[in-house]
Amino acid sequence: MARIAFAWELGGGLGHAMACNALARELRARGHRIAFIFRELAPLAYIAECAAHDVFQAPVSLAEGAGKGMPSSIAEILLGCGYDRARHVSGLLAGWISLFERWKPDVVVSDFSPTALAAARLLGLRHVSQGNGFSIPPRLTPIPAFRFDEPMAPGHLEQAEANALASLNSALARLGAPTLGSLAQLFESDEDFLTTFPELDSYGTRAASGYWGPGFDVDSGDTVAWPRGEGPRIAIYLRQFRQLDALVDAVAASTNRVVAFFQGVEPARTARLAGPSRLLSPRPVRLAPLLAECDLFVSHGGSACIGTLLAGVPQLVFPGQYEQYITGRRIEQLGAGTWVGSEDTAETLAAGLSRVLGDPSYATVARAYARRYSGCTPHEQARRIVKRIEQILAAPSRWARSVPARTDAILAPTSPGPKAP
Amino acid sequence: MARIVCAWEFGTGLGHVRRLLPIARELRSMGHAVSVAVRDSLYIDHSAAEGFETFAAPLLREPMDANRAPINSSDILLSLGFSDAPALGGVLRAWRSLFEAMQPSVLVADYAPSALLAAGFAGIPRATVGSGFALPPPGNPIPALRPWMPNDPGVLKAVDDRLVACVHAAAGKAAREIHDAPAVFHAEAHILCTFPEIDPFGAREGVAYVGPPASDEGGLEVRWQEDAPHRLLAYLKPEVPYFDSLLADLSGMDAEVIAAVPGIDPARAHAASTGRLRVYPRSVRLEELLPMASLCLSHAGSGFVARALVAGVPMALLPLQVEQYLIARRVEEAGLGALSPPHRPPPRFGEWLPRLMASEPMREAARRHAASHRGYSFALAARQAAERVAALAAR
Repeated sequence: MARIAFAWELGGGLGHAMACNALARELRARGHRIAFIFRELAPLAYIAECAAHDVFQAPVSLAEGAGKGMPSSIAEILLGCGYDRARHVSGLLAGWISLFERWKPDVVVSDFSPTALAAARLLGLRHVSQGNGFSIPPRLTPIPAFRFDEPMAPGHLEQAEANALASLNSALARLGAPTLGSLAQLFESDEDFLTTFPELDSYGTRAASGYWGPGFDVDSGDTVAWPRGEGPRIAIYLRQFRQLDALVDAVAASTNRVVAFFQGVEPARTARLAGPSRLLSPRPVRLAPLLAECDLFVSHGGSACIGTLLAGVPQLVFPGQYEQYITGRRIEQLGAGTWVGSEDTAETLAAGLSRVLGDPSYATVARAYARRYSGCTPHEQARRIVKRIEQILAAPSRWARSVPARTDAILAPTSPGPKAP
Repeated sequence: MARIVCAWEFGTGLGHVRRLLPIARELRSMGHAVSVAVRDSLYIDHSAAEGFETFAAPLLREPMDANRAPINSSDILLSLGFSDAPALGGVLRAWRSLFEAMQPSVLVADYAPSALLAAGFAGIPRATVGSGFALPPPGNPIPALRPWMPNDPGVLKAVDDRLVACVHAAAGKAAREIHDAPAVFHAEAHILCTFPEIDPFGAREGVAYVGPPASDEGGLEVRWQEDAPHRLLAYLKPEVPYFDSLLADLSGMDAEVIAAVPGIDPARAHAASTGRLRVYPRSVRLEELLPMASLCLSHAGSGFVARALVAGVPMALLPLQVEQYLIARRVEEAGLGALSPPHRPPPRFGEWLPRLMASEPMREAARRHAASHRGYSFALAARQAAERVAALAAR
């Protein structure tokens, strides 16, 4: 039985925590001990299973993105998250190293956690990555830009990468560790679990063997049924965002059946939706029994969107950040849904909603996508990933430790060892 | 030998690390194993580079609807993130895991109320350290931050009740002993690293005043150059709206002026250094400058105020927030300086500062007051705090 640490360093929303939870549940069922090291701890409130896990705060920059424009590449994201200063990277690394030295994982599962990957490598720990594609960039130098809607000055990408790498290397050198020749090396792992399919990959199609399929967990959450009534069935997973009121108005204005989870939104903001044909849940709901009859999934374009598309449900996306914007664009290109930008008017929003509900081609495309990957259920995905992780655990770590062990740790880790569930 | 965790949860800048690290060093020199948890990852390296096992402290973020003018200490916690029960629940869980992994004998909390709660739930003895602001004044409901303004006890009670409700919602049964807001701030020892006369809430019982720590380490060495009748020593933030006009007035003053402005663009500092005014873009060593200074100008941060107090130098204070304002009021009440409140337009510096520099009664009061601190050593405060922490560990 092994100790498995899940690291979530960058990116927002519930999706990262939920993806970690789906995999952790399977691993725990097989007797492994789990730690969640998360950038945000509030999502734990929605994960009842985590009561059995150890939980830690991930080291993150408090100044994330401050004063920076929209990033174009992973290098620019890193520069906005502490990698603009060598001393900050040293601190982030030291924070991860303290946690890993104390908790002693046998393998680190990174969900968008580049600094955790670096720390695991320094300590000679096995490490794998999981993500929708955006967080696992292709191993190219420079790492390609993910932005495609704006031209980039020549040398821009290279400069950002050089700056981020310089900070990282200076931090590594301070620790007496070998430096990296490229930023892509930071993402090297024992396995990349790309939990998406080429149609939605932020970086476009890569080698097909690299896709493990979405793992979005449609089986946890409160069990509810579609309310009785008339009209299309719409499932909504949204947080506070600019056009929330316009969306509520548009949905309230037509006849439909709704199951909605508005995370962290004051109930008063969504009160206009109240009625016997619409169910507003205070917690995430179990989507599995709803999806077969679902006519539209409305979300910000995170893992719930990718996961429900796998069930053949058309999508309406309100991207909250660039990764979600790329997903929205990919879904539009595929023809399985549409997206609404944060600057779009209430009229555009309402038109998008009726278009995606009124035009049957969206459902046709979504169902074809689902058929294409019909063997790739979240359950099957988890089974394969667990198997691969256990394979990696069974072999000796291929990473050599490159920093000395701490000497002042007078007490051994005291958290209880692995327990059978 | 004990395992001691030093935690900083709220507040910005390097001040909290500068207070905790010397205490951590003293504890280590006494043979204890010390780990540190810091709010801002930018400062993890300060502690890790000295060999301390250092973690990121579980993070509560300011809610979007944070109250910018909290009415008491409970309200401050709510505005810092305690109002978000799911987030607070996650943070308490993370402290619990950290304590389970570390098994500390004592928690030292520098403005770390969620760490205090989690340690309390786990039965770990707690000591708070701070300059006084993080520890509310005695009273139930917790008294108002601005006692000079009208305050309805019913409103204070309602805010306290909301804090307690959030703690209960976040921690469930573990919080059954938390009956009122003062219990949220409870610790087995409160160590105040300040002087009672500049405790923002006034001198109080039931706490240990070990005095302020201070060090000139890393400060630039500068000297007075003239044999002028007046010398003004300033510690300023470049972000204040009146900064440029203040510098202009300082350069035109009939006094030699040294201004330390950490964070200012060095080129701007160089350009502003005209006539008898010198502007430095970083901290300066105070030990050589203070004895000859006739006035200290600052935003009333507790560290610089304490240094001026011990050196017997009168103060001109431009507080920017409520903690500094409370400290500045205490200095003014003692006749040791003058202040300009944060909610008022700044004074006419060209008139205000020369008048203060010329005030014989204020100079005399400052000198008299300094005599009461004769022999005080800023370097010993951390040792005294560490001894109190160690005593708690041995209990």
